[in-house]
Amino acid sequence: MVASARTPLRIDRLRALNVPQSVHVLVDDHGLPTAVTNETPDHSTTASGGPNYRAVEEILEIWRIDDEWWRHSLTRRYLDIVLAGGSHVILFEDLNTGGWFLQMP
Amino acid sequence: MTTPVVLRSDFAVCLWIPLFPLRCEERRHPELVHRPTALLSPHETRRLWQVSSTARRLGVRSGMTVSQAIGLCPSLSLREPDPVHYDETFSHLLLALEDVSPVIEPVELGRVFVGVDGLDGLYGGPLDQAEAVTQAVRQHGGCDSTAGHPSYRLGWARGKFLSWVAATRAKRGTVVVVPDGEHQAFLAHQPVAVLPITSDTHRRLRQLGLATLGDVARLPEPAMVSQFGAEGGRAWRLATGKIADPVIGHQRPEPIVAGLDFPVPAADRTVLAHAIDTLIERGLRHPRRTGWRVHVVRLRAMLEHGVSWLTEVILKDPSAHRDRIAAPLNTRLESSPPTGAVEHLAVEFTSFARGTDELQLFARDASSSARAGRRQALHAAAREIETRFKRPLLSHIVEVQPWSRLPERRYALIDFEP
Repeated sequence: MVASARTPLRIDRLRALNVPQSVHVLVDDHGLPTAVTNETPDHSTTASGGPNYRAVEEILEIWRIDDEWWRHSLTRRYLDIVLAGGSHVILFEDLNTGGWFLQMP
Repeated sequence: MTTPVVLRSDFAVCLWIPLFPLRCEERRHPELVHRPTALLSPHETRRLWQVSSTARRLGVRSGMTVSQAIGLCPSLSLREPDPVHYDETFSHLLLALEDVSPVIEPVELGRVFVGVDGLDGLYGGPLDQAEAVTQAVRQHGGCDSTAGHPSYRLGWARGKFLSWVAATRAKRGTVVVVPDGEHQAFLAHQPVAVLPITSDTHRRLRQLGLATLGDVARLPEPAMVSQFGAEGGRAWRLATGKIADPVIGHQRPEPIVAGLDFPVPAADRTVLAHAIDTLIERGLRHPRRTGWRVHVVRLRAMLEHGVSWLTEVILKDPSAHRDRIAAPLNTRLESSPPTGAVEHLAVEFTSFARGTDELQLFARDASSSARAGRRQALHAAAREIETRFKRPLLSHIVEVQPWSRLPERRYALIDFEP
């Protein structure tokens, strides 16, 4: 038996899930991320990023999305990466603004 | 050994309440009547099961995914199905119809045949018999009307097929009577869509230019058989009115008994309560119980020193749930317990109320009862959280655009409100 949750689903009550989170990224000479942090970097940031940065251990895949050019153009470069410690996340660079964002796969 | 009584009737009233589950929801939530509404499928919650006429006018169709439907109709109200409630409501309707005739054959939720042979002496002609059925439906007070408009349709004719076709031709709250002898003229104008055949055969009939039952009836039977096999032969006989399946009622099953012996006489209530649960589950699994709800249950015990103990409970709402059956028995066990330790305990289901085939899908076994129990527990917990924190903190995850290349567009959260 399936008892009802009695929940009317209305799109005006929907809340976004997996919203991209703004992050700071250190990149190498090829523009690929080497370390990531969600805190504002200070002037003492070193080449390895410092204690608040998590190193990018592996880049699994890179792809690009160009979409919705008819309204607010979306141009993103996505990277499927593994961070130090084994976290598997998606990182993307908004090529319109230059900002970096993190979200779950 | 007694010979089983065959409950059958050649003439039938077909009672049809289209979209019965949706009507049940509208009855519980009258605000849905004028809104575009859809029920989610009980088997695949990503798809729609039943769609209200308002939503249908906006392009929403049964079988669509939720995402497609919301895309077409942003104001669509989606509801999770509550099959047990629909089944209980339908069972009450069947019980009310038993006051009109003992020959009742439910087919699906919202569609039932009532055998009317011999009722002319009691009620009068076909229209009076249909009126008796109507009175029973109104008396039942179930999902017979939406916003004051009757939602049932009735057909009176010989055989189930003809009465069903008559019901589909009836307007809301009215009856179409097909007198014996006029069935061929009536059937000739009906569309082939009313034939109980596969969608592939329907498609092929349309491709052959056969639009009405009259078109089919004009063909020789061997032509239909050679083209469509046995299904074609049956379709031809139905279209010509040469077969009229009678309504077959079912007698209530014999009592079902489940018992157990305790290796050591038991007096502990917890042990007895656990044994009752086990015995009820065993009884519910009995093949004779399938399709029936338990109405009267007895608990009897053989005590030490040859003394016995017996209690009987009539369930206000016949049920196939273990917990609902066990609850009043446990109450009796607390209020008037056996006077000694129990050596043998037995649960008897002695009276039953009708269920439907759909009941078997949802409520036939104890594991489905357990699922419902978990859901109820979840609802209770959610209500408690909302009461304590003044707002719902639990959410559902719903699919929005699962195919999207942008991860944040695929799923969303919505408050869980039991």
